Amino acid sequence: MSTEQGQDPVVVFEGVTKRFAGHLAVDALDLAIERRQFVTLLGPSGCGKSTTLRMLGGFEVPDEGRILLDGRDVSRLPPYRRPVNMVFQDYALFPHMTVAQNIAFGLELKGWDGRRIGARIDELLRLVHMEGLDARLPGQLSGGQRQRVALARALAPDPTVLLLDEPLGALDAKLRLKMQLELKDIQETLHKSFLFVTHDQEEALTMSDVIVVMNHGRIEQIGSPYELYHHPRSRFVADFIGETNLLDCRVEATQGDTLALDWEGRRVLAPVPATPPAHGQDVHVALRPEHVTASLAEGGEDNRFHGRIVHRVFKGSRTVLDVVIDDGPLLQVTADPDLADAAPDGRLWVGFGRHRPAVLVD
Amino acid sequence: MAGSRNWMLASLYWAFAAYLFIPIAVMVAMSFKDSRFIGFPIESWTLQWYVVVVQDAQMMGAFGYSVLIAVAATVLSLAVGLLAALMLGPARYLGKTVLFAVMCLPAVIPGVISGISLRLFIREIGLEPGTAAIILGHTVHNVPFVTIMILTRLNAMPKSQVEAAKDLGADEVVTFFRVTLPFLMPAVFGACMFSLLISFDDFIRSFFLGGYEPTLPVLIFSMLRSGMSPEINAISTAVLIVTAGLGLYAERYTRRLRSRT
Repeated sequence: MSTEQGQDPVVVFEGVTKRFAGHLAVDALDLAIERRQFVTLLGPSGCGKSTTLRMLGGFEVPDEGRILLDGRDVSRLPPYRRPVNMVFQDYALFPHMTVAQNIAFGLELKGWDGRRIGARIDELLRLVHMEGLDARLPGQLSGGQRQRVALARALAPDPTVLLLDEPLGALDAKLRLKMQLELKDIQETLHKSFLFVTHDQEEALTMSDVIVVMNHGRIEQIGSPYELYHHPRSRFVADFIGETNLLDCRVEATQGDTLALDWEGRRVLAPVPATPPAHGQDVHVALRPEHVTASLAEGGEDNRFHGRIVHRVFKGSRTVLDVVIDDGPLLQVTADPDLADAAPDGRLWVGFGRHRPAVLVD
Repeated sequence: MAGSRNWMLASLYWAFAAYLFIPIAVMVAMSFKDSRFIGFPIESWTLQWYVVVVQDAQMMGAFGYSVLIAVAATVLSLAVGLLAALMLGPARYLGKTVLFAVMCLPAVIPGVISGISLRLFIREIGLEPGTAAIILGHTVHNVPFVTIMILTRLNAMPKSQVEAAKDLGADEVVTFFRVTLPFLMPAVFGACMFSLLISFDDFIRSFFLGGYEPTLPVLIFSMLRSGMSPEINAISTAVLIVTAGLGLYAERYTRRLRSRT
């Protein structure tokens, strides 16, 4: 976890391992989650993110290690004895109960009296913009409305951490974006710890304070969306988050904080990463398409090449171009659509500053 | 080509429907015929056979007896079937397939075999043929149907339902009564209706296991020995209407319950 945060984590995973029929789902996971943050576990399917979440919820028991919630070991407590609540991927609303009964379920089990429950239901329905729908059955609601009820139901008992297991997956693109913003709003309003699981990197970038990128049951990198996007530490993270060019390079020389690399016969300048590579070592360099400038005349960038457009995809405000550099390697860049039209024979200059590329040592 | 095939299929279907329904229609028609002689043509209509049936203490007694047995056997079948379904539900364990096969067996054992073997069995345990024996026999027969109907619904229940209940603070018992059982209700209701109908309709087991008091199907059978009579047609028609009505209602109600999920 980013170290500038406080040292009072709400959840700590300590060497947590989980196997399913010999398959290692979560591999010696160490993770501390700070209070009142929107933390996202991000990774491809099978990376162990859901298993991690479900172990915190109490639906899976870790084979090794322990999970601390507010400093208390909860690894072996059943779900109904843990102060966390989950929004399920399929919402899991109880079909025979009305919206109000669904929300009241957890409160009744906590022994609240009817008046207090009623007031809490009103409060939550306002929060998720579902006023007046308390008497509906889940079957009478739209997908988006069910999602809101599931959120209200999980928030009702005031959990220490709210767990969200890909809850937006079933919604259409537009509604999903709307719900992302609302979720983030609700999290900020309530000042509550949210642990969110998704395989959708855009979703993670939109909502998270901290993203934990997972792969093969291990953590690849933890950081803010900005850090992960601009300073990916591994090829996996660079590839998984956003569009990226991966350049096969060899380290030639170090000049201060700049690394001189050989990119298939071309010189590329890049910043020295946290763990400096040895000379002669093969490395990958990640470069975002939008960090490359395309122009008709040669510019003044540290790294600049002449190339030819071989493929273009119109994306509205920008065009994505595949540019072949001197009949050599391919570079993906984004450019103004008009520029691509103006390039004679599709020939143009592409360039990027020495601070732009990220050198990946793995 | 396609047209002639459709035409052939349609004729086959209607021929089958006619074969199915004409005998029933004849029986119903005869129950309203104003004559003891069974056969066409029907010259005048009457409801007198229904009056005779209603006034016949033995027939009404047999009807009530059959209802009592059906209800008792259904209550028992639901209790056993629900437990069996829960045992055969989503949980995985060794020998579950064998257990399932054994559980299904009574449904496919021929009625005669089951009747004879149960008759021998009750003698061994010192039970006289009679009400308890019939209820027992019907229960053994109905449990597989009830179990399979409830099990189908249980297996269709998303795992997240139970998880959500536990997540919100419900232990195993509360989860069962407040989430699992309500989810199973359409199947429980359907199984209840089905069990009532097959038990009410059963002849073979009631015949082998019965004492001196006949159930309705057994009584009708014994009446047949002295030949067909308009009263038999009338009681059969009445039973047909009641059971068909119950069955259709159950089907519609179950559908409505299910549509909520």
